[in-house]
Formats: sequence, structure tokens, C-alpha cells
Amino acid sequence: VDRLARSTALHARARAFASAFERGGPPPEGFDALAADLARYQAAHVEGYARLCRARGVDPERLTRAQDAPPVPTDAFKLTRVSAFEEHEATAVFRTSGTTLGARGTHAMRDVSTYDAGAVAFGRAWLARDLEVRVPVVVIGPSPAAAPDSSLVHMCHAFVRAFGQEAGDASTYVVEGDVIDLSAFDERVTVALAKSEPMLVLGTSFGFVHFLDALGDATFALPRGSRVMQTGGFKGKSREIAPEVLRREIARVFAIDPRAVVSEYGMTELSSQFYEKTLFEPAAEHGTFAEPPWARVVPVDPESLAPVPDGEVGIAKIVDLMNVDSAAFVLTQDRVRRVEGGFELLGRAVGAPPRGCSIAIDELLGRSDA
Amino acid sequence: VSGDRIAHVRRLLEAARRVAARRDALVPAIVESTGLSPEGVALALDHHLEVDATDHEIAALVRAAGSAPRVAVVLSANVFVGALRAIALARAASDEVVVRPSRRDPAFARALVLEAGDPSIVLDEALDVARCEGGEIHVYGRDQTIDEVAARARPGVVVRGHGAGMGIAWISSRAELAAAAAGLASDVVVFDQRGCLSPRIALVEGDAPRALAFAHALHDELERRDVEIPRGQLPAGERGVAARYVATMTYAGTVLVGRDHAIGVACTVAPLVLPPPYRHVHVAPCGSRDAARAALEPLAASVTTVGSDDLDGARALAPSRARAARLGAMQRPPLDGPVDLRTR
Repeated sequence: VDRLARSTALHARARAFASAFERGGPPPEGFDALAADLARYQAAHVEGYARLCRARGVDPERLTRAQDAPPVPTDAFKLTRVSAFEEHEATAVFRTSGTTLGARGTHAMRDVSTYDAGAVAFGRAWLARDLEVRVPVVVIGPSPAAAPDSSLVHMCHAFVRAFGQEAGDASTYVVEGDVIDLSAFDERVTVALAKSEPMLVLGTSFGFVHFLDALGDATFALPRGSRVMQTGGFKGKSREIAPEVLRREIARVFAIDPRAVVSEYGMTELSSQFYEKTLFEPAAEHGTFAEPPWARVVPVDPESLAPVPDGEVGIAKIVDLMNVDSAAFVLTQDRVRRVEGGFELLGRAVGAPPRGCSIAIDELLGRSDA
Repeated sequence: VSGDRIAHVRRLLEAARRVAARRDALVPAIVESTGLSPEGVALALDHHLEVDATDHEIAALVRAAGSAPRVAVVLSANVFVGALRAIALARAASDEVVVRPSRRDPAFARALVLEAGDPSIVLDEALDVARCEGGEIHVYGRDQTIDEVAARARPGVVVRGHGAGMGIAWISSRAELAAAAAGLASDVVVFDQRGCLSPRIALVEGDAPRALAFAHALHDELERRDVEIPRGQLPAGERGVAARYVATMTYAGTVLVGRDHAIGVACTVAPLVLPPPYRHVHVAPCGSRDAARAALEPLAASVTTVGSDDLDGARALAPSRARAARLGAMQRPPLDGPVDLRTR
């Protein structure tokens, strides 16, 4: 009961950050205060996190700053439950994409409304803040029923509910199995054009590559004011295209401004997402991601985990206050750099480049993001 | 099998023996280029330079080598003594051998070719594989390197790639844990676990407490070896990877961290974790050999050798084209052909 009550109270505090943000108000409390309470809660109820704190010489009871809390490597999500609650209490279970070793990370949630609140609040800010009415939303991806364990599909579904017009799954999620339903997409575009309604198109990078390949030379000019959110890497699911080339191609095919093609950075192990600000901020550049007030991306030295000086490249330690019942402090394998207005994503960390005939761990483990 | 070819290989082994005997001038350069400690270099020269091959083994190597009008050998770094087998294979196959030593680690290969004084073996440190006409290119290194060489090779040139790989240890239910740990520690320490036969994962037949007991025994052995044969310099990029593995296993299981090594102990065999090289071993309990085979399935293409206290068990567990060896001998395969039987 104590655990549940603590969790519920922490969820409420986390959601208060999202509510305040939606209202345009200041955060309801200090970031470090909630972060430290989350560290204490997670150390008390997750044995692995307590061990990690001990190994790092950190006493959670004395923590006052988020930067001092040890982060949980994303690999841990593949090996064990990263969770402060019993298995049967989960209301949502998200899984990472598979790796060469076959392991998929699992991120279970007891109260998914906190995830939804943060995702919708920050998604609205960088994808839909100018939309006064619901718009046609199309997902170049499977439906939640077809991919119930994908956090990305869950997030897209939350956007469909928050920003989208009623349309039904078949007209909203245009990928079924390996097939892209171009006629369903065409119908949505035709109607939107007739009504002059801007569209929001969501999808993964590899989904867009398949979409572009399926289109061939055809184009799908979207209504004025339309925008696209693309996310994720390629994961071997399609040919790889440089980000700027993919963005240019998406903009060309949909006849929209490249600045209306917004990248999102997120991962299954997190509850928060990060966005490029190009749609709404004229000075913003592609490749620079903004953080919500409830999450911080800190480039750290991969060995000491100490923050690197501003402008230097480090591994992303992400403090995510929405990860109430799992890990609020996550160590990714992504290289990042702080820049004015956010952070840059510079690809995945690798070990020492030349490994001779010894196998490279990165080649075998693959990416954990989904 | 041609007696001449056996004789050519035998002369190369003798040259290697002389190079090893005059090591004083060579060791600092090898330490510098490989990052191994001086003790690690000495260990490799004393126990892992394959100069004591039998005629039977050399005959097998000559058979495995086949025949080619000319062979270009593109060497990799890390396992510096591997140059001997690589050049021996090429010489067994051809009377016209060109050797391009690794740019990062040229010292031993250079010394070996010069010492051999065999007019059929020449060094070409600027060898351009795209200019090789006919014959074979034997390339050692990362899979990406092999692919690049294959892409650049002229039509008609056969490219034989010796790529990335790893070893697995199987500790059977009959194993005496201390002895098994001693054997595995020997296999881990050599080349600082950077070889394509180096064991990275140890599956312990039995339950979690037995796996933990084995891990403690291995930890004790590695503590001792860390003093005798210190690990070389850990590259900056590897330190972060190592720290990440330790943090992951601290969270998800148990970690035993020593002076120059770390052992992660998992509670279950699946999913397997591949620890980084430089003396990191992942230990997991495993109910049976079948369960081990299933757990290793995703890695099967990368497994070059299975070491065990139970040689029959190792053979049964080894994927096709992987070697089987006793613990302690995983890094000393007979000189009977390519070290990596998966050679493509």
C-alpha cells in the first residue's frame, strides 16, 4: 500500500509538470526535487537500482541533484524487469525491437496516463500547437491492435486521439503487415485537400523509406499547413538514407516545406520524447532537439558518467521524470552534444574503432531503440 | 601432400622461433602497437606462437591451404602471433606470397618475414588489393574490412576472409569448478581476450548458485593472473563499454570486479549478453546442453570455438565449423589450417 501510494503521488507530481507546461505556466516544483524523490522510490522498490546506487557509492536518501543519481543502462531493460511494481500490476508493456542476440527490452508501466500526458503535451508543442481544430492524422505504421507492444505506436495513437479527426483504424494506420495501403492514404489526402485541412503524418524513418519506394515517381501533395513527424533509425528494415536526404525526399513527395518535417527522438525505455523545433521557430535548425521541462539530456563521460563540458560530445544520460515506476535515470548508447536550444544527436556510441578479429559488441547487440 | 610445402612451412616456424628468441628488441614495439602489457606479449610468444606443430598438423595445414598461383595476405592487429599461421597458410598454398602487415601492428609480421628470408614471401606494406591479379587474397580482420577487400578485388581473384569471432566456454555438470576456472582464466588472459577464439561467455551446467560459485572461482583465478600478466592499456573507447557492462550486470545480476577484469553473473541463461573484450566474462547458469545450444543460437555464426572440461560436450555444442577444445587450450588450436574454420 505504501509503495502504491508513493507511486501514485509521484505520478501525480510528474503529470503536474505536463499540465503546467500545457497551461504555459512554470514547473510546479524543482526538477531536482522530483528527480531525487524518484531515485529514492526506485532504490527502495527496485533491487537492481539499489545495487547500482551502492556500487556507485550513492546514498539515495541524501540525493539532492538529478545529476548525482546513477543511470540505468538501457541494456538492463533486456535482461531483467526494470520495474517497481509486480508484474500483474502492469497496464502497458512496451518492447524494444529485437537485436541480433534475440533479446528485446521490456518497459512495463503501471499507470500509462503519465506517459500519455507528457507525450501529448510536448508533441502538441512541436507538432500541433497552431492547430485550432482536430486535423486528419495518418500514421505510416501499424495500428495499436497490430502492434500492442510498441511504445511508438502507442504514442502515435495518443496523438491520433488528441489531435486527430475520427477516421477509424483502417484510414489512420496505413501499414498492415508489410503492406502500405496507399489507397487509404490517398483517400485521406483527397478529403483533406477538398476541405483544405492540414494533415499530420507520423511515421518511422524506415516506414517513410518504404512509403517513398512504394510511391516511385508519384507524389502526394498534402494540403497547405501539413506537417510530418519522423522518428527512429532504420534497424535494418529498409535501405538507409541520410537524414537530410530523407527529409528532403519527404518534403518533395508531400510538397511541404522541409522545416515541416520534424524529427522526434525517443526510445522504448523512456516515457518522454524530444523534438526538433523547426516547425515553429524560424531560427531552429534540424538536428537540434528540445527537451520538455520534465526531462533532461545530459552528455556524460561514458566511464565516469560525469557531465562533459558544454559543447563536448558525451553519451546521453537521460533524466525522465515520467519514468516513475521504472528508471528515471537512463544511460543510452547515443552520442549527444549540448548546443544552444537543446542537444544534437550524433549517432550511436561505439567501442574503440578497430577490434581486429575480435567481435564488436555493437555489431552483435544492435540498437535498443524502438 | 607436397613435402616441399611442408618444408616451407617448417622453415617459417623455425624463423618464428628465432624471432621469439630474440624478443628483446621486438617486445617494446609490440607492446606499443598491441597495447598488451610486456608480460602479455611474453605470454603470447612463449605459449601461443605455434612453432611446435607436428608434421601431421602441418600436413593438414597444407591440405587446408589448397593451391594458388599467388597469395596476398592482409593481416589484422590484436593477435600479433597470428601472423605466423596466416603466412604459413599462404606459403603452403603458393610460391608467391605478398604480406601486408597491419598498419597498427606491423612489428612481428615484419620481423618474421625478414627472418624467414624466403624469396617467395615478400613484404608490401602499401599493398593495394585492387592491383592483385589472379590468385587469392587472404584477409584478416573485421567483417567490414573483408567486405571492402572483396569489393575492391579484381574479377577472378579469390578472397578468403577470416573475420570476427568469439569463443564460448561450457562448464559441464561434472566439472571441478576450480580446475575449470583455472583453465578458462588462461584462455581469457591471453591477448587480453581480443582474439577471435577468446572466450567471452561461460555457460555453467546447473543452477544459479553453481554458476555463481564458478564465477567466484574464476574471479579468484583472474585476480591471480591479473598480477602475473597485467592487462594492457584499455583504450579510451573500451573503458566506457566496460563500465556500461559492469553497470548493466550490477543492475541485472551480480558483478565481480577485479583489478584488471570483471565477471558478470546472470540469473538465467537467456537472454545472453556479450561482454566487451579486455577480460570481461559473462557467466550464466544453464539447465542442459540443449538449453545452451538454444541460447547460443543467435550467436552461432560468430562462435569460432567451444572450450570445455568435457570435450565431447564441447563438440556437441560447437556450431558447425567451430573448433572444440579443452579449457586452457582454447587459444592453442593445432596448426592444422586456418584458426577460424568458418573462413569464407
